[in-house]
Amino acid sequence: MSPFFFYLFAAVLIFASLCVVQARNPLYNVLSLVVAIFSLSCLFVLLEAYFVGMILLLVYAGAVLVFFLFVVMCLNLNTVLLTSARQSHFRWLGTLVGFMFASSFYLATKSFIKAESMDISSVRGTIEAIGKILFTDYLLPFELTSLLLLIAIFGIVSLAQGALSTGKDDESS
Amino acid sequence: MITLGNYLILGGIIFSIGLIGVMTSRNVLKVLLSLELLLAASNLSFVAFSKFNGDYAGQLIVFFVILVAAAEVAIGLAIVVLMYRRLSTIQADELKEMKW
Repeated sequence: MSPFFFYLFAAVLIFASLCVVQARNPLYNVLSLVVAIFSLSCLFVLLEAYFVGMILLLVYAGAVLVFFLFVVMCLNLNTVLLTSARQSHFRWLGTLVGFMFASSFYLATKSFIKAESMDISSVRGTIEAIGKILFTDYLLPFELTSLLLLIAIFGIVSLAQGALSTGKDDESS
Repeated sequence: MITLGNYLILGGIIFSIGLIGVMTSRNVLKVLLSLELLLAASNLSFVAFSKFNGDYAGQLIVFFVILVAAAEVAIGLAIVVLMYRRLSTIQADELKEMKW
């Protein structure tokens, strides 16, 4: 049963991430990233990482991508994108580098024979197990993360204040 | 039987797609979305290693990566909105000045 679901969600994930890169409409980019994150969290559940899968759904699909959607809709990007759709100089270079990375990664994975022989363990990422480790061994990084979020809030507020002041400048000039 | 190699190959494919997206798109929003793909690919590898190694550390790192990515997206999108107000475009080529 498990191989079927793995290949199903892997196919959905690859297709959705191709849509993220290739779709013309920025709205479709964001929405296909939602599909990609959803199938990724399904893969996490297949790996019995329940807590991380739920957090991925709530934080990514619920908050971050909705934020992306807000920005796309606020900027009204369709007209902007279609009028200035010129060819990029880096398109062929970037595609080449991506395929080179993929092929070297394939070779590296083929030579990594130990990965095939590792047995699946009985680790179950439930909230209880993750929480126990998070609040004992990893307490300091957890608190430092809150400091990081505080700094991010400061950065966003200072950026927004700069935007307000420049807006006043534009109106006065 | 699904082994660790399957998950690693899938993570590599997603990482390559995201890398192509970062390097080929000139739209700053699309670059940010492709960065999310890169983070998702590494998250998948972390969780797969955590499951097959029998260690919870991988899942905790994924938890921290999600938090850091949320902060990164918030600041990145704020800069994109500022750039759109300033230059009325979000093409990366139009950013020619170092100081606004």
